[in-house]
Amino acid sequence: MGLDSREYVYQRFSEFYKDPANAVPAPPLPHKREFGYLTFKEKFMVRHRRFEQIANFRTVLADTVPSDVYHSCAYYENPDFDMDKKGWIGSDVVFDIDADHIPTSCNKIHDEFRCVKCGFEGRGLTPEECPCCGGTKFETKIWACDLCIASARDEVAKLLDMLEKDFGFSQDEVRVFFSGHRGYHVHIESEVVRSLDAMARKEIVDYVTGLGVAVLEKEDREQGARRKKKLSKKFNLHNYGWNRRLKVGMQTFLENASPEDLKEVGLRNKALLESKDTIIKRAITEGKWESIQGVSVQTWLKLAEHIREVQAAKIDTVVTTDIHRLIRMNGTLHGKTGLKKVEFKPKELQTFDPFTGAVAFKKGKVKVLVSDAPEFRMSGETLGPYKNQTLELPVAAAVLLICKRRAEVVP
Amino acid sequence: MELAVISIEDYAKYPFLKGASTQIKELDLTIQNLVEDRFVLERAQKRVECAILDLTIGQMDVDRRKEISSFAASLILVIGTKKPWIKKRYALAVAKTAYSHLLSPQTTKAKIQSIAKDFDWDISEGKEAYKDFKIGFSFYLKNAAHMHGNEWKLVNQIIDKGLVYLNKDKVARLLQEEIKNRVEKRLDVPELKNLPEDINIIAFKLNALAQDIMGQETEEMPKTVVQAAFPPCINALYAEAAAAHHLSHIGRFTLTSFLLNIGMSPEAVNEMYKTFSDYNERLTRYQIEHIAGERGSATQYKPPQCSVLQTHGVCKNRDELCRRIYHPLGYYLRKQRMQNSG
Ligand SMILES: [Zn+2]
Ligand SMILES: [Zn+2]
Repeated sequence: MGLDSREYVYQRFSEFYKDPANAVPAPPLPHKREFGYLTFKEKFMVRHRRFEQIANFRTVLADTVPSDVYHSCAYYENPDFDMDKKGWIGSDVVFDIDADHIPTSCNKIHDEFRCVKCGFEGRGLTPEECPCCGGTKFETKIWACDLCIASARDEVAKLLDMLEKDFGFSQDEVRVFFSGHRGYHVHIESEVVRSLDAMARKEIVDYVTGLGVAVLEKEDREQGARRKKKLSKKFNLHNYGWNRRLKVGMQTFLENASPEDLKEVGLRNKALLESKDTIIKRAITEGKWESIQGVSVQTWLKLAEHIREVQAAKIDTVVTTDIHRLIRMNGTLHGKTGLKKVEFKPKELQTFDPFTGAVAFKKGKVKVLVSDAPEFRMSGETLGPYKNQTLELPVAAAVLLICKRRAEVVP
Repeated sequence: MELAVISIEDYAKYPFLKGASTQIKELDLTIQNLVEDRFVLERAQKRVECAILDLTIGQMDVDRRKEISSFAASLILVIGTKKPWIKKRYALAVAKTAYSHLLSPQTTKAKIQSIAKDFDWDISEGKEAYKDFKIGFSFYLKNAAHMHGNEWKLVNQIIDKGLVYLNKDKVARLLQEEIKNRVEKRLDVPELKNLPEDINIIAFKLNALAQDIMGQETEEMPKTVVQAAFPPCINALYAEAAAAHHLSHIGRFTLTSFLLNIGMSPEAVNEMYKTFSDYNERLTRYQIEHIAGERGSATQYKPPQCSVLQTHGVCKNRDELCRRIYHPLGYYLRKQRMQNSG
């Protein structure tokens, strides 16, 4: 980012934080949380700040103009003390779902990487090792396309379904946010989860990702078999929790599966398709798994394993288990996009458009030289693709491209 | 379901219930007159001895009030020993004893519910799923998350709308955990000043007794590093680090803390990282010293247990031995012993 461009973005961030219309909303119990931010120019992380009043923090934001703003998910007796003296009281349960760590249907073809060692460049997922020199350090330019967002959104939908049906949280207790980049955050601030320790949170993570479902675990099945002295032919599922999810998932899958779909998950069993209706009725609805001719326990396991994959919500496991985590603050700007972290109602998940709802800069245009940008949308307008061209863009679009190192302002 | 009334009989069985201490207050028991009652003090000492020897609390006194008082006195004795091992051991013995009372066929569901409410549980009868009880998932997790085995995992529970459906035996087991924690908390006081001499004498005896048992139980970490006994997850991390691949934060933490815990010196760990490229001397040294407990907080960090490594995808190439242990360090010790015995 050139100096002029950096100054330009800084000015926009500054205007944003000085405008009372953009006053950041307070999280619950702000005086018990740690606040932190990354300074815009020096990229220095300020941490362990405490504010009795959120208004004071708004003043700090307007005065310092950070590039990224965070607060702790945790509540502390002394949020401004050193980590081991803070006095942990509790923490919200937070989920982070980001296109970074899930496979997306765009295959991240818009991302670019460049080997620091030899300069080898490529598009798509950054490899572990440089194919040219074996180096492992890369400079990357990542992008968020509609498919990235849609993939993340699908994972959020699965998570929300579990939080509501299995964990019993009401729509008011589950807060959903667009993260400002290419993902979503889900916060649960209810009293009932606050005091849960890291191990209890790990169990929530394992639930959400479907880790350790006994009926699918080889070790569990073998252990059961040893006890009963023969390999269990039973594949019984009850009607709650993950058992229900597997059951319903298998039913839906079978109802709609073509022979190709089955092949794709490694199932070559003809009986599965030929007597589909009987299977769904007898096995899934009535629970008589062993009575289907030609369908072995192994086939059920393979199918169920595929369904677990499909039903699991791919969250960042580390974020949810970390009871001291800092999370981006609602209503603040993301330094890599200039978009806001914004909240929307869980039921608006499918309709909320981040490239409209999270736009922070709504007025004005600016002349930029765009080196390279794929097609994208901003505030309802479709822009690009651009390649080495100078043009006037709406401020939000220009800030996004500059932050992504794909454009520079033209003085 | 009606809540059951807690009788004096119950308080004798479950003397850690909140109401039990009011029973004692009624008897106006101070530390001084607790120890002046010889019978109470003898029973208290017996409780702790049994806990140390075989994780029980011995025969209950027929005088129920005396039995309740002896629990209060036993806590003072245990605190007097100043030994974390005895504190843990006693809390576990009390909890296990309560567990067996809870499991008894004479213990009604209503009674169990009353006891669970003493720990503020969200609990009620679980008719819908043909189970004895349903409890709020957070109360379930608080206790079950620390239990080993897939049968306790939340994914394997009957869970619906925030409630976990359980039978009596499982609820009793969860309560054992809850009881253990409560007793441990009551024992977690730094020191009692000016304890009567009688107490100090008993505490001394208890410590001597514990020393014998502890000696049998503690397993010595081998003096030298035996790479052939590393668990598969550590081998995988080591190989990745050696190939100069980027390790995740938790991966790096696991490898470093494992090596430090099996007796590698911080310098040696640092040297090892140095031979790998992608090495940042200042940062690495800082992290190693932090994990070793030499910087900032004085706690020495242990590597995460197996289930945590599974959650974050660090557990790899599980083998036969992995099934029988819960912690990478446990694997190391066990493997070592197997190798030594040929
Ligand atoms: Zn290269
Ligand atoms: Zn994409």
